[in-house]
Amino acid sequence: MRRMRSAPLLVFVLLSILGWQQPARAAAPASDLVKAELLAEPGAITPGQTFWVGVRLRMKEHWHTYWRNPGDSGEATSITWELPQGFSAGPIQWPTPTRIPVGPLANYGYDGETTLLSQITAPADLAPSSEVAINAHVTWLVCEKECIPGEAKLSLTLPAAAAASAAGSNDGPGAAFEAARSRLPQMSPWPARMDVTPDTLTLQAAAKGLQRDAIRSAQFFPFSETLIRHADPQTLAVTADGLSLELPRSALTIGTPNDARGVLVIDEAIGDSTVRHAFALGDVAIVTAAPIGSLGTILQAALLALLGGLILNLMPCVFPVLSIKVLSLINHAGQSARQLRLHGLIYTAGVLVTFVGLAGVLLALRAGGAEIGWGFQLQSPIAVAVLAYVLFSMGLSLSGVFHFGYSLQAVGGNLAHRTGLSGAFFAGALAVVVATPCTAPFMGTALGFAMTQPAAVSLVVFLALGLGLALPFLLLTLAPQLVGRLPRPGAWMETVKQALAFPIYATVAWLMWVLAQQVGASQLFAAMIGLVLVALAAWSFSIWQTSGTWGGRAAAAVAVACMITTAVAVAGLQRDQIEASPAAQTTAAAGIEPFSQRRLDELRAENRPVFVNMTAAWCITCLVNERVALSTDAVKSAFATGNIAYLKGDWTNRNPEITRILERHGRSGVPLYLLYAGGDEPVILPQILTAATVLQEIDRIRDRNSQRRADLPTSAKE
Amino acid sequence: MMIPRRTLLGVALLGGAAALSVGLVCTPSTANPGAQARIGGAAPAFTVVDTNGKQVSLADFKGKTVVLEWTNHDCPYVRKHYNGQAMQGLQKKWTDKGVVWLSVISSARGEQGFVTPEQANKLTTDRGAHPTAVVFDTKGDVGRSYGATVTPHMYIIKADGTLAYMGGIDDKATTRLDDLKTAKNFVDTALDEIAQGKPVSTTTSRPYGCTVKYQS
Repeated sequence: MRRMRSAPLLVFVLLSILGWQQPARAAAPASDLVKAELLAEPGAITPGQTFWVGVRLRMKEHWHTYWRNPGDSGEATSITWELPQGFSAGPIQWPTPTRIPVGPLANYGYDGETTLLSQITAPADLAPSSEVAINAHVTWLVCEKECIPGEAKLSLTLPAAAAASAAGSNDGPGAAFEAARSRLPQMSPWPARMDVTPDTLTLQAAAKGLQRDAIRSAQFFPFSETLIRHADPQTLAVTADGLSLELPRSALTIGTPNDARGVLVIDEAIGDSTVRHAFALGDVAIVTAAPIGSLGTILQAALLALLGGLILNLMPCVFPVLSIKVLSLINHAGQSARQLRLHGLIYTAGVLVTFVGLAGVLLALRAGGAEIGWGFQLQSPIAVAVLAYVLFSMGLSLSGVFHFGYSLQAVGGNLAHRTGLSGAFFAGALAVVVATPCTAPFMGTALGFAMTQPAAVSLVVFLALGLGLALPFLLLTLAPQLVGRLPRPGAWMETVKQALAFPIYATVAWLMWVLAQQVGASQLFAAMIGLVLVALAAWSFSIWQTSGTWGGRAAAAVAVACMITTAVAVAGLQRDQIEASPAAQTTAAAGIEPFSQRRLDELRAENRPVFVNMTAAWCITCLVNERVALSTDAVKSAFATGNIAYLKGDWTNRNPEITRILERHGRSGVPLYLLYAGGDEPVILPQILTAATVLQEIDRIRDRNSQRRADLPTSAKE
Repeated sequence: MMIPRRTLLGVALLGGAAALSVGLVCTPSTANPGAQARIGGAAPAFTVVDTNGKQVSLADFKGKTVVLEWTNHDCPYVRKHYNGQAMQGLQKKWTDKGVVWLSVISSARGEQGFVTPEQANKLTTDRGAHPTAVVFDTKGDVGRSYGATVTPHMYIIKADGTLAYMGGIDDKATTRLDDLKTAKNFVDTALDEIAQGKPVSTTTSRPYGCTVKYQS
């Protein structure tokens, strides 16, 4: 039962539909259900050229064909190419599918019309003026409720042309291809991972700083047919780490799935409308996470954290603190066992209270909606600088520049007294604080687990970590016979103490490096001058400690002045970071200037055309527009040839100047694209950009400007 | 995270060790609270009526291997397996060996695949099919409890009442008759393994075919 009809057109040939159409209940023959056409983008093929071809399927109303993963039923359309010698065809580039509910089930596919694109590469030795016949055997399943398989043998013939006469895209198919390409998912700008438990799958896209209000909905279309239950709802959460989508796991994949790739579709609210974005997740890391609530797993995680805490004692920033505590024990080996034990317990309490306090702040902030993770303390340059200064003072104290409260003599000398006990608590707290920079990268992994758990479980993990940190010292104090085995006190202790300053200095150097990632060069310089001031303060402090005269008072004044100056310098760091946000920094290199009203006015006074891009790091649409339109070579070169200045305003952190511009153009948010041509009011470009839209607008202003120039001599004549 | 890992080699190594340990700690548990039918779990019980008006319960077949075949005689994928005589061959081979084979019709009244008992019996005769019984699940309750999505969707229940296989009938998700010759039939393989007392090697596969025409 095969019918064939062919209709050669100018550029492309529409060939026939071969229907396999016997089902008794089929209302219409297959040929009426799907119209298939083969299209090619170029009018002629040059040697070695890679060009786009498309199979356009037009379905009867309410009928659909399928995506690569058809969902609960159905079958993906397939294309078999028959090409001349030397030609090769790539795989189908699948357009973003839609979810088609069918009763209690769901399919992934295309309603109405779709164009399946592929790329074909011609051989380099293609003979010019030959004819190239491209044949595609297309098979599909088309369904409304019932399903009917269909197939078509499509072909078209293109002339071969010499490389020099490369034909530009023809109006007809060119626009069709432009439209078809716009339906392909974009490469995802974010790394993604799939957390797998026996019962759940959670897709995490590391899209940091997304605004949760702006994400209307999100849906994941997996490539694998057996990964998820296609019809069940997916639960969206916008978290500190980005976007997370809980997927109903299918029982058809047992154990750990091996393919978690797919397409993530996000509906983003832009003003009053919603924009749909599709991202291809081609590389999804599969992470087998612990199921929440399993007691065994929590115990295991706590044990792991305990081990982690033990290891922390060896970190370059913590090790000196612990060592000094041990040295103090050696110095006072004669203390009573009870006093020793009390000392060790209070040190442990200091560690635990500080740890839980830090964890509590983190959990509370997260519960309050702050999008932060562990290590949040170090995301602030102020915190980094303060930690560097604290550690630097500790180092100076160990080097013997001055004697600080907790040092060997002070703590050790008063083991039995109250001050000694509070000193022990303070030492515990200090151990945690100085441990922070060393733990952040380490705990980022270990505590990532704790962050996914309920608060109580997280606290257990944090407590275990703290206990691990405190444990070596605690054990020493609980078993005084161990203290007896330590080396006898002597002058060597002072040498060890001074040597311990160096890992601390190394930590300070590293913190400065961290700071260098967060602030500009001038602010980094200020922060380092802060180090000098800390050293000066320490030195003055020691003079004050040793001399009671006016000289001592002067030294104390210098010390205080240094501290105040340092504090002021540190407070300035935060502002610098906001002004130099990453989005603005990265653009400086690409001939793009940061937006300011003054710069805009200057450029307009020069009569230079200006393109203004108001963007924000959390705006997906902005990101997509930059990728697909603004950063394309075509647009970049059009900006260059048109001498168009490009100003980019970063609204990631609220900026009143940008807000005013937005309001003036009736917008409450980004993106906003303005094209100023001469002294006129700007052209407002659409919020969804394509390279073509931007080029068109640039052409228009160029035409208008040349028109104006052409007008001038004419009017002069008159 | 602001702090790059490479800065402190020791820390990075420890971090790696911790990541590894996290991986080791997290072994999947065997608990399966999901509502779905699961491999190794008890197959959902059901009682249905066959084309001869007789009540059929899963419990009746305790001690026997049971095959469930979701079917819709007008579905092109089902037609492939019947037109190629493959489905009938499989039914005959295994019912002769004492396996219970139930063909389940979950098509709602008025939907594709819905048949009267008489039509169903005529189809069995005309096609030379050999199921133990053809049963009706017009409300779709059985299909939903098993998570049947397509025709043909296949399930195998072992003598102890646990689910041993669910998924497609073979690995060629097409309507082409020619593919029957080269396809790997998962149901035949699983039944062989069960008969020999071996564990089933492939317990799940992608179910393919037409959507089950459930009552909406």
